Amino acid sequence: MLKKKTQTKESLNTKLLINLDILKERFSFGLNNDFSIRLITAKFNKHELCLAYYASLVNSDKIEQTIIQPLLEQGGDSLFDVVTAESITKIKELEELDDHINNGKVVLIIDGESFGHSIDVAQFQHRDISQSENESVVRGPKESFTESLHVNISLIRKQIRNRELITEVQKVGKRSKQDVQLMYLNSIVNDQLLDEIRSKLTQLDVDNVQNIELLEQFIEERPYSIFPTILYTERPDNAATYIDKGHVVLLMDSSAACLILPITFWAFIHNAEDRYARFLYGNFTRLIRFIALFFTSMISALYVALSNFHSEMIPPDLLFAVTAARERVPFPLIIEVLIMEIAFELIREAGIRIPNPLGPTIGIVGALILGQAAVEANIISPIIVIVSALSGLTSFAISDPSFNFTVRITRFIFIISAGFFGMFSLMIAFTLWFMYGASLKSFGVPYFAPLSPTYKSNSDTYFRKAIKKEKWRPGYLLPKDLQSSRTFERGKTK
Amino acid sequence: MKVDRRLTSFEMFTLTSILIGIKLTDTTPSLFSQKAQNAFWYIPLLAFICILPAFLVLLYLLYKHNAKHFVHLFELLLGQGLGKSLAFIIFILSFVMIALDSRNYVEQIKIIYFQRSSILIIFALFGGVCIFGAIRGIEVVGYTTRIFWPFIRISFFILAALIFESVVWQRIFPIFGAGVPVILEEGVSKGSLFLDFFLLTMAFSAFRKPSQFIKGGLIGLIFSIAEITFFFFLYTTVFDYNSIEKISFPFHEVTQYVNLGDFFTNIETFFMVFWLLATFLRFILLLYLITWLFGAIFNIDEFELLLLPMGFFLMVIGLLPDNAVVTELIYRNKLLNIITPVIALVPFLLLLIHFFKRKKDLT
Amino acid sequence: MKTISLSGLLILFILIGCEDMVEVDRQSYVIAVGIDVTDQDGIYAFTYQIANPEAGSTLAGIGAEQTPDETITVVGTDIMTATNTANSFVTKQIILDQTRVLIVSEALARSDQFLRVMQSAARTTEIRRSIQIIVSKEDASDFINNNLPVLEQRPHKYYQYMLSRAKETGIIPDADLHRFFQITEGDADLFLGIYATTTYDPKELDGSEDEFIAGQVPKEGGNATQFMGSAVFKEGIMIDRLTGEETRICNILDKTMNINELLANYPDPLAPEYQVATDVFLTDNPKVNLSYDSETNHATIDVTVPFEVKVLAIPSLIHYSQNENFKRTLRDAIEQYITDATDELIKKSQEAYRSDPFYWSIYIRRHFKDIPAYEEGDWHKNIYPNADITVNYQLKRLHFGKMLDDTKLDEVRD
Repeated sequence: MLKKKTQTKESLNTKLLINLDILKERFSFGLNNDFSIRLITAKFNKHELCLAYYASLVNSDKIEQTIIQPLLEQGGDSLFDVVTAESITKIKELEELDDHINNGKVVLIIDGESFGHSIDVAQFQHRDISQSENESVVRGPKESFTESLHVNISLIRKQIRNRELITEVQKVGKRSKQDVQLMYLNSIVNDQLLDEIRSKLTQLDVDNVQNIELLEQFIEERPYSIFPTILYTERPDNAATYIDKGHVVLLMDSSAACLILPITFWAFIHNAEDRYARFLYGNFTRLIRFIALFFTSMISALYVALSNFHSEMIPPDLLFAVTAARERVPFPLIIEVLIMEIAFELIREAGIRIPNPLGPTIGIVGALILGQAAVEANIISPIIVIVSALSGLTSFAISDPSFNFTVRITRFIFIISAGFFGMFSLMIAFTLWFMYGASLKSFGVPYFAPLSPTYKSNSDTYFRKAIKKEKWRPGYLLPKDLQSSRTFERGKTK
Repeated sequence: MKVDRRLTSFEMFTLTSILIGIKLTDTTPSLFSQKAQNAFWYIPLLAFICILPAFLVLLYLLYKHNAKHFVHLFELLLGQGLGKSLAFIIFILSFVMIALDSRNYVEQIKIIYFQRSSILIIFALFGGVCIFGAIRGIEVVGYTTRIFWPFIRISFFILAALIFESVVWQRIFPIFGAGVPVILEEGVSKGSLFLDFFLLTMAFSAFRKPSQFIKGGLIGLIFSIAEITFFFFLYTTVFDYNSIEKISFPFHEVTQYVNLGDFFTNIETFFMVFWLLATFLRFILLLYLITWLFGAIFNIDEFELLLLPMGFFLMVIGLLPDNAVVTELIYRNKLLNIITPVIALVPFLLLLIHFFKRKKDLT
Repeated sequence: MKTISLSGLLILFILIGCEDMVEVDRQSYVIAVGIDVTDQDGIYAFTYQIANPEAGSTLAGIGAEQTPDETITVVGTDIMTATNTANSFVTKQIILDQTRVLIVSEALARSDQFLRVMQSAARTTEIRRSIQIIVSKEDASDFINNNLPVLEQRPHKYYQYMLSRAKETGIIPDADLHRFFQITEGDADLFLGIYATTTYDPKELDGSEDEFIAGQVPKEGGNATQFMGSAVFKEGIMIDRLTGEETRICNILDKTMNINELLANYPDPLAPEYQVATDVFLTDNPKVNLSYDSETNHATIDVTVPFEVKVLAIPSLIHYSQNENFKRTLRDAIEQYITDATDELIKKSQEAYRSDPFYWSIYIRRHFKDIPAYEEGDWHKNIYPNADITVNYQLKRLHFGKMLDDTKLDEVRD
């Protein structure tokens, strides 16, 4: 296979006419509408030459001003004196040629030369930088990644002005070759980790990996796991923070987000704002978020377990309220809970898919159907509405989209298991669920590090320390330099 | 990336604490109070003092010989055949002990919370969680224990704080309970309370450094003993000596008795949650250790595959006795008395051989 | 196919659940259990007061006219079998988890059957150890039926508020099941149960309002039920009853009773026809000093009770707050009054009951080495009845509240 490949490595011919035929055949000229070839006679050496490019990928003004106009009007010794575009590369092989044209470059072939010149005039279309929508913050930078790789890299570089910040390119995809950018701090990141990621990327044997969302599923270790093991974020400041700690960030074109790895459980609970807000405020938010995590995954299951198996635990007034409300309801309690939870998920899914102008209506309809009408018709009891509304509402406090799914699926597992044997089976499900999580690793890093197993780190788990006390990079990443702050070390403070 | 994922001293501390400390919730206190009456609360302390030298010797030898686990140590000192047969005796004893223990806990779940359900189903679910938990490996058990440990302790602490107003501390008098000879006899013969720690030395090589095992283990033992003694003290002072004899599960009796103000009057389910967590973790760990022990005796490297049959056999043996009271008062009591001399004397025997061998090496 | 059959199985399991699964609306919650004797030995009448969860509910579709409870009486040998019998005509499963009080008729309490009934109650996990034991003068079923609270519609609230209020004033003891078993099984002291009745039998007004037992408190209107005083149990059998004031003294002298503040009236020393209303705080637990002579098996008990009094009302309008002499007189009078009442109670307990209602056996324990010796010594047969007991009340402080002085009545009327 490999041998065959080296044999078929064709290169350009010295004759322009032959080269033109090659180009026309490779890119289905004529059939392929936006592939353009332009023939010019250059003024400086009086040779014929051709320009080949995808009209949709290039900036046509730039071609005209920096290539065509100078070629037609200027004289000089060589091509480099004439063409005013900022970068020109020599290419020889046809595969290279494909690559450059596909990446929005103009390839210039002069008659009599067995090589071409690739000139960068690419202009991929993308959105402007906009506000982060899924991970919004009150205090802190608001900009988010956009679908352009160059813009994204510049957004990160803006926050780490360090020559050791490397942006390394890896190609993925056998037929459509896409660039994956690895960003890391050379002097900090663990080399073994880098090798592991590189080999994962090169080993990918697929035709096309369109974007980072798909890449995540290709490189994760356990595709069937309920827990995510790679962090997906659309915030450049988040990415910069993780790079500083010694993580690796993966970027791709046409994804308005990046992947961060390796990652632990805590990253999905934490939010960039926890660090931007002052110590007390940030930790208060964390506390609220942990309560929300508990509510969203457990409260419906607890309601089922308590009212079906441990009704003695419910205080009498509340118990009587629950009982009175349930007297006229036709379904068993667990079915009632499941109906409401599924209804909530339906509204949620419909709310995302619904065309924008209809958005507000879905809320009203949902609230009406689920709340008022269902209760008045004695289909469900009002307590259930409160319980499922609480569990649904608190799920929004988990901002990470992947982990949000984890929690929502977990909720159903817990509800069903609570229906078997009350607290006993609920605790069984919880223990097994948790132990499964604890057994996971993301690129070798245990999921619940650094809480357990312990490593030298800032112990940023449930709560964070004051910024001044944050002295270490996470030890579980095995960084080359463990210490990140030396300002407030004992004895050195001024 | 090769991150060191082995356990550290804190995990060892919590593992010991879960293995030993949780005994305060089962029938152990009522077992002790049958003979010692209101003086039963310091029997664990006496038992600990009796068994501590043996443990210190065992840890010293493990450390000195750089052994993987105690079966390895037995083989190093006693030779292949003798070492393995001694380990097998310990295996049989602890196997029966764990089976009875698990029956005890299942019985608690049934009697207190699920009176109408069949014990078979509860036992099957319990066995299921132990097997599937243990399959994740000793490291994961360690992590999980480490993470849940604070919550379990906080719930125990809340319970102690709530029951405190019902404590009448004068009830510990007469201080010698049923009489000094009885107390001493009970204290010495119940050293097997710490059999679980002996089993835990199977995991000696699962730690980053042997010193972390020793440090975490010893602090864990002392902590558990303090905790057990404190809770036994609470039981003695909340229930009088005549009542404690009649109560099989004082822990649950206490959780049923306490109120959180006038509003939350029945809060035992809150404590049950954390107690269940601790119980699951304990038996997951015990199942793993006993299977490991079996694997070590019969040179089975892939011993994790044996977890399923081993858990099944434990369940079958646990189901044999007729009811909890019989299990508790007769079998468990006898077994505890049999095990004590074994785990108390074996380390000293090993120490003798150790010195003998060293002398021989020197000459 | 596999997934479909699996999920079908799952849904089946959910719908069946395990045997212990009960929907909340299939349960009846018993708030009070009453136990009476019947003509036959070993057979008792059990009365259940079942709360109606729909009473007072504002949910749509529920009629306003809902009785707050339903009372049923069945006959059985013990509480669990009786509960099963009751299930034959109560549509829902009877649950005892929320039970607050256990009401026993005085007739049953005075018989030797009482302990048997209580034993069976302790065996079930449903009956909590924090249930209060109430002894009713009449039959327990009559008590439950006649007890018609007006303000507190829901029965569990009624018992909760009624008992906690009565305990604050100290006129009833704290008498939960746990304490009953500790004291009865400890076999050394007297247990005090709450005494209550719905029959009205007013006593002549003669001085302090606390010298009543339940049913004797003169009143007009309101619920017929009265909680006052206590029933004295010796070795599981009721032998006597104490008045509200005697109960209050027991509460003061017993350190295990968590009652630290109580309201009390004392005769005005300078104007005997009036009373002084006071609020009594126990600043500290009573100090019980017990010395024991093992040779003669004889104990001497010195009890010091430090307390503070806040004067709430002086109807005689004598200026106790200003005049030092008057103050001293009032002090001495209060101390004297309590000491006399206490001495009388102790005498009664030593001679008539031959055991103590103060849970003082806990102080003798330290004088014994082990339990056999302690049981040999026999606190409530030998030591206590013959002990020398002195109780010394120390009034530490006398507060007069926020008013410096009372209205000068003669000036007003001038």
